[in-house]
Amino acid sequence: MPARTAGDRPCKVRLSGVGKWFPRRGAPPLQVLDGIDLDVPEGAIVALVGSSGAGKSTLLNIVAGLVEPDEGTVTLDGKPQGAFRDWRSITYMFQDDRLLPWRTAAANVGFGLEAAGVGGAERRRRVAETLDLVGLNGFGDAYPHELSGGMRSRVALARSLVTGPSLLLLDEPFSKLDPGTRAQMHAEVLRIARMRAMTLIFVTHDVEEAVVLADWVVVLRPRPGRVAETRAIALPHPRDPVSVEVAEAVRSLRVALAEASASC
Amino acid sequence: MLSRTPSPPARAPLLRGAVAGRLRTLGLRLLLVVLALALWQVASLYAPAFVLPSPARVWNAWTGLLASGSFATDLGITLGRITTGFLLAVAIGLPLGLLLGASRILGEFFEPVLTVVNTVSSSIWAIFALIWFGLSNWTTIFVVFMTAMPLILTNVWQGTRTVNADYVELARTFRMPRRKVLSAIYLPTILPLFFSGARLAFGFGARVSLVAETLGASSGIGYRLRQAADLVQTDQVFAWTLTLVGLMIGLEALVLKPLERHLFAWKRQVQP
Repeated sequence: MPARTAGDRPCKVRLSGVGKWFPRRGAPPLQVLDGIDLDVPEGAIVALVGSSGAGKSTLLNIVAGLVEPDEGTVTLDGKPQGAFRDWRSITYMFQDDRLLPWRTAAANVGFGLEAAGVGGAERRRRVAETLDLVGLNGFGDAYPHELSGGMRSRVALARSLVTGPSLLLLDEPFSKLDPGTRAQMHAEVLRIARMRAMTLIFVTHDVEEAVVLADWVVVLRPRPGRVAETRAIALPHPRDPVSVEVAEAVRSLRVALAEASASC
Repeated sequence: MLSRTPSPPARAPLLRGAVAGRLRTLGLRLLLVVLALALWQVASLYAPAFVLPSPARVWNAWTGLLASGSFATDLGITLGRITTGFLLAVAIGLPLGLLLGASRILGEFFEPVLTVVNTVSSSIWAIFALIWFGLSNWTTIFVVFMTAMPLILTNVWQGTRTVNADYVELARTFRMPRRKVLSAIYLPTILPLFFSGARLAFGFGARVSLVAETLGASSGIGYRLRQAADLVQTDQVFAWTLTLVGLMIGLEALVLKPLERHLFAWKRQVQP
């Protein structure tokens, strides 16, 4: 089983033998991850797919340092996670946009900079620049409830980008958008990731999304989550979902996913 | 797709409706006042003046009070005591509520204290204050404080429980320091609850301040009220009462409502 993605580029994230148990009330702990080995090369876009119960989000939380693994090691930028200090170079985009309703779009984008203690003028400049980057020029003063779902998603993306991260973690960030808006967001994310040479790890249950965006797709097997297969998607961008090559890659990945889910 | 959802033209008829609605409310209020005055006038014809003075008599007493010079002084003294007690209550209740809400252990430990404080009536606090502070400003301030502080603290504490865990998790992904999480997420979340708590606390504080002043002060509205009662100057009692009612309504309409509108502009308006 090719558990590790090969690559001559330096490793951004490396997981070795990561395991995780969740305590349960009145029952033995539930193992959600078992022996996860994963290498994410710098600048790569990696998709984690798997049925529910495959521990995709937990895996992402472990990389983000929000959850501690019970087993195994996590290496970030060549440093063991315990010695890693540059946490602000990692941002996280959630499934729901989590915009603070009492803040304007601009203030929401500035949220990440406040945590890092970036001063007023510098913050305003970078917020304006990032709003521009995601195509929201002129909407900085709008409150979240005044924005459409797609625009809210753009604000959340801008908030994740404003700190200039080198690693962006995404947990099904576009799953609640309609298909057209989702395709737009895919194009935006790809454009910005290339431009800023960011590494992306994203969780999805949408096989097509994985094929359209990712360089590498990691298929997880559920209960407990294990790596079933890692496959490269070597198609040129932009990837049109209705083209024969992309459709074939989607079909074959769907088969692999079904097999992984069935053989648990 | 890049357009703001509530388009400006749609707001115009709504606005016109709001003006009409406001005029209607104003008319209803005026009618109520006229009705109350008429009822009062009729009732006063059948009662001696020391039981129920007529509106005209109360009006005369009130203008007399205004001219007396001590009116402004007494009003100022009482308002000063209420405000001091209230501000102290905010200064202590708000951070304490945040602290108890942010720490589960502290919250669990101190919960009974709040229950005990809440069960002691304001009159009892007034008696304690009299023993401890004598005839001084601090008697009234203490009573206002002891009444307002638990209300503010409770509301802020309750407010911390409505803080969205998702937002706190978001702050964690940005490695936001705990102090900043308190000011960027906790504070805005509890602000509406704090505001209603503070409004309630100020109202209660203003009412109990008079009780405290009748017991333990040699100045202020409460003291004047007791004097008037001792001398059976019922018209004076009425005049002071109406002054206070007017003051509270003015505060609500001119300070609290506009402030509330400004602070919570971000909330989506509920369409009728």
